[in-house]
Formats: sequence, C-alpha cells, structure tokens
Amino acid sequence: MLGTLKKYALIYREFFATCLAEATTYRMHFVLLIVMDLLFYATTLTTVDFIYQHVSAVGPWDRNQFMFFLAFLLTVDQLHMTFVSESFWVLSASIRNGDLDFLIIKPVNLYFLIFLRHIRPASMLLCFVTVFLLWHFGTKAGLGWVQFMLLPVLLILALLFLVSLEILISASMFWLVEGTGVNFFRMQLQQVSRWPDFVFYGLPRRFFTFVIPVLLIGNAPVQFLFSPFAFSSLLWMIGLTVVIWVLIERIWSKALRQYESASS
Amino acid sequence: MGSLQSLWKRDFIEKAAVKPLYLEVRRGEIIGLLGPNGAGKTTLMKMFTGIVVPTAGQLRVLGFEPAKRDLYFRQKIALVMGQKSQLWWDIPAMDSLQLLMRYYEIPKNLFLERVHYLASLLEVEPQLQVHIRKLSLGERMKLELMACLLHDPQIIFLDEPTIGLDLIAQRKIREFLLNYHRERGVTVILTSHYMADVTALCQRIVLVMNGEKHFDGPIRAFEGLMGQEKYVKFFFSQAQNEQHPLLIPWHPSFGNQGLEVELRVPEDKLKDVCAAILQNLPVTDFQTEKMPVERVMQELLSRTGA
Repeated sequence: MLGTLKKYALIYREFFATCLAEATTYRMHFVLLIVMDLLFYATTLTTVDFIYQHVSAVGPWDRNQFMFFLAFLLTVDQLHMTFVSESFWVLSASIRNGDLDFLIIKPVNLYFLIFLRHIRPASMLLCFVTVFLLWHFGTKAGLGWVQFMLLPVLLILALLFLVSLEILISASMFWLVEGTGVNFFRMQLQQVSRWPDFVFYGLPRRFFTFVIPVLLIGNAPVQFLFSPFAFSSLLWMIGLTVVIWVLIERIWSKALRQYESASS
Repeated sequence: MGSLQSLWKRDFIEKAAVKPLYLEVRRGEIIGLLGPNGAGKTTLMKMFTGIVVPTAGQLRVLGFEPAKRDLYFRQKIALVMGQKSQLWWDIPAMDSLQLLMRYYEIPKNLFLERVHYLASLLEVEPQLQVHIRKLSLGERMKLELMACLLHDPQIIFLDEPTIGLDLIAQRKIREFLLNYHRERGVTVILTSHYMADVTALCQRIVLVMNGEKHFDGPIRAFEGLMGQEKYVKFFFSQAQNEQHPLLIPWHPSFGNQGLEVELRVPEDKLKDVCAAILQNLPVTDFQTEKMPVERVMQELLSRTGA
C-alpha cells in the first residue's frame, strides 16, 4: 500500500515537472492563461456586485453571502482548471486519434493517467487570488474559525463531486468518438452550478439537484457553512459521490472494452 | 445533402477485422505480419497488447489474457507505432523518459544505465535534451524505440517502425533491432510495409489478408511459394520482337520500347535459358534476382483478389 502510494506520488511529481516544462516553453501563452482567468474572476464578481447595487438581497442572501458563494465556486473552478480540466479535452482528442492506446498499455491506474496527467501550472498561481477572495468575503459574511477550518475539506468534497460527475459523463466519449460536444456539455453544467439553487424553480431545480445534480457542488457546502444544521444537502452530495463511483466503475469498464482505437 | 441525411439515417456495414486465426509465437522469435492495408495486422497487434478487446476467441500472451489488462502483463510488453508517438511533443525526450521511469518503477541507476546504453546504440545521445517537436522523423523514431525498451520488455510489438524514414534511417533502425534481439533474446512481432524490414529482421512470416491467415512459415518458404523461380532482366542494343520464341515461354515483360525484357525462369533452367539468349540476341547487359517478397505478395494478392 505504502509502496503504491509512493509510486503514484513520484509519478505525479513527474507529471508536474513535465507540465511545468511544457507550460513555460511558450511564455506568452502562460501569461495569457493567467490574465484570462483573472478576467473571468473579475467579470463573475462584478456582475453580481452590479446586481447588489440595485437590490439589497437576492433570495435569502445578502451581498457578502452571495460573493462568498461565488468565491467558493471560483476556488473549485481554479482547482479544477489546475488539476483536471485539461485532461478532459485531451481525453476527447486521444479517443478520436487513438493516442489512448499508449495509456492503456502502461502499468499505471488508467483513471490516474487519464484524469491527472495534465496539470495547468498557470492556473495554480491563481490560488493566491482565490484564497484571498474566500478569506475576504468569508469574513464579511460572518464565518467563524470553525467554518474556515472546514473550508478546505468542503472544497475538496465539492471538487471531487464535480470531477466524479464529469468522469461519468465522459464515458460517453467512447461511444460518440468525437468528445468535444461532451466537453462543452460539461462546461455548461459548470455554468449552471455557479448559481445558488434558489435562482431555479420547479422542474429545473429538481433536475439539477437530483438528475444531474450540479447545483449541489456549491450550494451544499456553502449552505452548510452558513447554517451548520442544514447538512442534508451535503450528506446527499457525499452519498451521491459514492453512487457515481460505482456507476463509473461499471460504465467505464464497458466503455474501455468497447474502445475501438483509431486506424494507423 | 448526403451529409445532412446521414444525421438521422445511416447505413452500417458490419465487418470482422480479424477472422478466426491460429497463431503461436515462440519465445525469442521475430515474426513479421504482412498484408495489404486493411488486412487486419494493426488490429491483431492491438489485440495482442490488450488495447482492443476481441469479440470472440482465445488469446494468451506471456501467459496473460491481454483483454484483462493485468498490471504485470503491461509491465512486460512494449509497443511502437510508426504513425503515433508516446513522447510529449513540447518537452525534451529525457523528460518523457523520466516519466516512463516512474511508470515502470525503474531504479534511477538502472534507468541512467539503460538510457546511456540505448542512446549510444541508437546514436541519439545529443538529441535527448532537445524538444521532440524539433527533431527529425528518424530521430523521433529512434527515441520512440528507446522509450519502449527502457523497461526491458519481454515482448515487443512494432507496428511499421520505419514508415516514412529515409533509407539510411531505416537501415540503422533495422541494425539496432537485430543487435538488440541478438543481445536480449526478446520476442518481436513486427508489421511493416517495407519488405526490406521483414527480410532483414524476420525468421518467420505470417501473411494476413482480409483478416485471415494465408501463410505462416519461414521466410525462405514464403519466397519459394511461387515455385523456385528467379527474375532475369536483359538489356538489348536493338528492340526485340515480343513474340520471340526464346523469350515467350518465360512470361516476358517488355520495357523501354522493346530494349528491356524481364523473364521469370525456374532456377534449374536458368543457366540454359541465359546462355541461349546471350548467344542469339544482342544483349548489352543482364541481371538476375531471386523472387523477392514484394513480388510474392503482389502475386498472392492478385490471385486472391485481396
């Protein structure tokens, strides 16, 4: 067990080294990625700030609570962009052009190789910004030290839930072969998850809570932080993560057996 | 319009890429899988390595079922595809090799030793620190070979490893593979469109056409498949009649407006036929050649209509 952990830690260190070497090869591209992400953070926050210049509350939340919610999701997004996002795009291409062949024959866990191989060091640098946003809006929203202590765990749970959902959805790429559409679908789901659940009513709200439960990603942990007794959504999210992994094991196993590769 | 129609209505044709086929490869053997494009050679290679799962039949490689993709099985095999690369495009080869060192859990000392050994054999030591995208195709292919041999695999699958390379690079890769096989005694399964690869490397040929095996045996038996014949080419100072009685029995193929002719002559009659032609016709030059593998392939393909 310890030996396996050491092996994977060493591989991951090598992933990071190769990704850093690759990223810094094109310096302007590296800088542009950072600027682009900063612009995204700024537009997301200023849009909500603009709304609060005209109203005092949106649903049950005041400005600081909403801004903290956004900071939480921007942090999940930043972690996602840093550690996994690129891999989904590469997966789509490698199924189509057959590059996945080389990963299948490597003596390493395939999920690990597919989903953790591509790291974006440029996005990693933005952790200073997201941590500042969390601290700033968290303090303004009245979070105590216990909540701040719980924050890293909740961020990891939210990221794990998002990535699990995406891995499950990505299995469809094996049957569709061209996975770009699946990737855009994933991105749109992330857009939906960036809003509080009270923004949605009726069927859409139930659909995005129970069928494709992306609304849980930010809402479940943040609602728990604001009201520690409102933990049912969080439990639902944790339970669903387990269910999703059972489904991933089954569906991915079938998908990999049906992988056709590409002609050479 | 056809493209739009295909959005909702599409006709599918089901075709078996590989039909029932029996093949046994002994440890340490080098075999060549031959066949035209679409014959099923690459599909076979992908089934041998566990990339593609066969829909029926039994397959065992090194005692493992490749379709199960057992971790120990994956540690013992290697695959090189001439048209695809496992090295990262935007970083030096050495960085990709270090990643492989971690995948295969090769101790650092052994890794450096292997890198030095393989790089000096393949003459790519200076290229190890160069970005892959800046290397020539030949250099890249040598590094691909290095990447696949780092973990000292027991069986190597080479899918067209010399495709697109110039003659010198092809020859160097062949020499390297021969030396490596001699030293390590690994099993090699090779597909190639270059018959020079096959004749230089393989002891045994398996001919696959339309997913079926058409020949399996030593390379000499393959060459002799069309009978013990040789090709003889004559060059004349005057154009010759295409119906000349000395030429017509030997399936003549004329060229250069009757100034050249190629004949297919059984080996036991070669001496007499050549002597008669040299005595009676204005020959300026001639050359003989054994029935090359390409010709046997072409002949077999035209016979079977593959």
